[in-house]
Amino acid sequence: MLNKVLSVENLQKSFKNAKVLKDISFDVREGEIMAILGPNGAGKSTTIRNIMGIMYPDEGSVTFHNHNGNEIPRYKIGYLPEERGLYKNVKVMDILLYFADLKDYPKEKAKQRALDYLKKFDLEGKENSPVEELSKGQGQKIQFIGSIIHEPELLILDEPFSGLDPVSQEVFKNEIKQLAKNGTSILLSSHQMNLVEEMCDRLFMINRGEKVIYGLMDDVKKEYANFKCTIRGKNEQSTLESLPEVTRVEQSDEISILYLTQEVEVTKWLSQLPETLDVQELSVDRVSLHEIFVDIATDQTLAQEVGASNA
Amino acid sequence: MRNSLKVARWEFKRNVRNKTFIISLFITPLIFLLFASAPTLLNHLGDDEESQTTVYLNDQIGVYEALEPMFEESELVSWDVQETPNEPSDMTETISQADDAAYIILNEETLETGTITYMTSDDLQGSFENQLGVLQQPIKQTQLQSAGLSQEQLQLVQTPIEYEAFEQETSGGTVPQEEIGGFPYESAIPAIFAGLVLFSIVISGMMIFQSASQEKKDKVAEIILSSVTTSELMQGKIWGYFSLGILQVAVWITMALPIALWRLEDVPVLEYLFVPETLLLTFIAVLGYLLFAALFVGLGATIEDYSTSGNFQGMVMMLPFLPFIFIGPIFSNPEGIVAQIGTYIPFTSPAVLIMRLSILDEWPWVEMLIGLAILIVSIWIFMKLAGKIFQIGILIYGKNATPQEIWKWLRA
Repeated sequence: MLNKVLSVENLQKSFKNAKVLKDISFDVREGEIMAILGPNGAGKSTTIRNIMGIMYPDEGSVTFHNHNGNEIPRYKIGYLPEERGLYKNVKVMDILLYFADLKDYPKEKAKQRALDYLKKFDLEGKENSPVEELSKGQGQKIQFIGSIIHEPELLILDEPFSGLDPVSQEVFKNEIKQLAKNGTSILLSSHQMNLVEEMCDRLFMINRGEKVIYGLMDDVKKEYANFKCTIRGKNEQSTLESLPEVTRVEQSDEISILYLTQEVEVTKWLSQLPETLDVQELSVDRVSLHEIFVDIATDQTLAQEVGASNA
Repeated sequence: MRNSLKVARWEFKRNVRNKTFIISLFITPLIFLLFASAPTLLNHLGDDEESQTTVYLNDQIGVYEALEPMFEESELVSWDVQETPNEPSDMTETISQADDAAYIILNEETLETGTITYMTSDDLQGSFENQLGVLQQPIKQTQLQSAGLSQEQLQLVQTPIEYEAFEQETSGGTVPQEEIGGFPYESAIPAIFAGLVLFSIVISGMMIFQSASQEKKDKVAEIILSSVTTSELMQGKIWGYFSLGILQVAVWITMALPIALWRLEDVPVLEYLFVPETLLLTFIAVLGYLLFAALFVGLGATIEDYSTSGNFQGMVMMLPFLPFIFIGPIFSNPEGIVAQIGTYIPFTSPAVLIMRLSILDEWPWVEMLIGLAILIVSIWIFMKLAGKIFQIGILIYGKNATPQEIWKWLRA
């Protein structure tokens, strides 16, 4: 197993009387991409702000393993907050060098890295432009460069894809993967499941300040992404529910979604469907993380249910 | 501390390169100069119009010789005097046709009756009579002479009654004579210097407010806070803008000093400037800055959009101008109750102390020390409070904080 870089243990935090974090624990390991997922207001940013020492938890601990002492090793961490921006009336290079200086990174090296990244992100020649002349997407790229200019050991990205067009999303995604490959540990939060699904090694799903799912992406997929069968046609809900291997039926108008158990063998199950069923259309596919996510956000119990049926 | 310095250096650098700052740096003293010199300039313009008065003088008693230097020296009149032997009847036409011209006849009759007969062109009517006042004294003298008074009697008649206060025995010996024009340059110069420092750094202190508010608006704060702590960021801002204020003063002084040296030739400006008083008054000014800096940095963190902020913040912004209401009472009575109260209110004490210390010969040490103690304690308290507000306020996006919310943060 890879070395732990960051451990969060039993984090608790309350605002006024509302508990926004309940017993949050997870690790980030060397060179992995770890995702915190959850709907808006689930506690993702709060968790990250507690890690960064911008807020302090009521209870629990945050440990940086390669560092002795209680202080947060800020110069080893790169951070891209959810609410982010840049000073307006300064030059691109100046602000990047300022960020590097705050992290105690040598100026000359920072300059070279900044130029390299500007080139990589298709911003070559922009180093002397004032920030206010950049487009929103260009600004986001500069912020991203700012967060990695000092070669951080741990990179924390809060909603890195929000507000990006698909092309920039792709650029960011590749760069994040590349950084992880080179040994940077990455903790990112997002509510865009489709993007995260392809790139992260492990995930921590959170809702209302509580852990919902935590584990390797592959395991999670195997465990939670069961098959479901979507049928268009007029059928009684009770008939469908009486079919074997069906855990739950969702019906609206003529569309029925049948959630199947984990053990189901799809071809066998299909061949034993009764001839009396009204089938205009039929499709079988896996429950995606996206659906689990939406269920959580809308407070349904799909994940728990599927989880429970496996137990 | 190292991080604070980095932030300070950054704030300094990015403002120094800012066009608005550079322009105001040089424009402000020019505006001052304009306002200071405009009244005199306008006066001179007015003078020019009057200076053309042509005065035809028929002097039959021979006083012109004595009058001539007076006309040249007097600031009240600017006459171009031309002697003429003509009688009034001969002059009527010349005067009535001329612009800005007058005719005066001085003869035996003038001395006997004490009446000066004159004639003016239409446009001079009324205003000329005031100017004739310059003739009063020499004519009177000639009158008295011809009445046969001795030189001594003449002296006596002409010496006006003077008033002199009885010198009371004081421990400090005699008060040194005041300088030319009665303006107390010796005590005023350190005060003017300290006042300038206070003014400049309070102005740049108000830039802290903008900077904190802008930081919120631009949403940079959280990125910066991943590298430094909130108190480091806050201190960095305070020191950064402090050095901007000092730069401002330095530029202004370098522009003003040559002018002051040139205009006040008789006053040893530099000698008066480099005295211990200057240090003390500047120290008071710096304390004033720290108080307002704390106030503004906290306040700035509560506001994202100044145009929609409430009255509360606007009122706090007015606090540095509070001492202006004390100026009148203090100069009329620097030991009075208003001056004393002003010394004890932290928001006014820096300016009030600078004013009082420059007017008073005997410094009210006890009052001053109490005032300074209150000020220093207030600075400490305000820094703590500002830190609390800043820490929470700077990370709240999308709205201005209400006084109730700020109160809640303070109690947290």
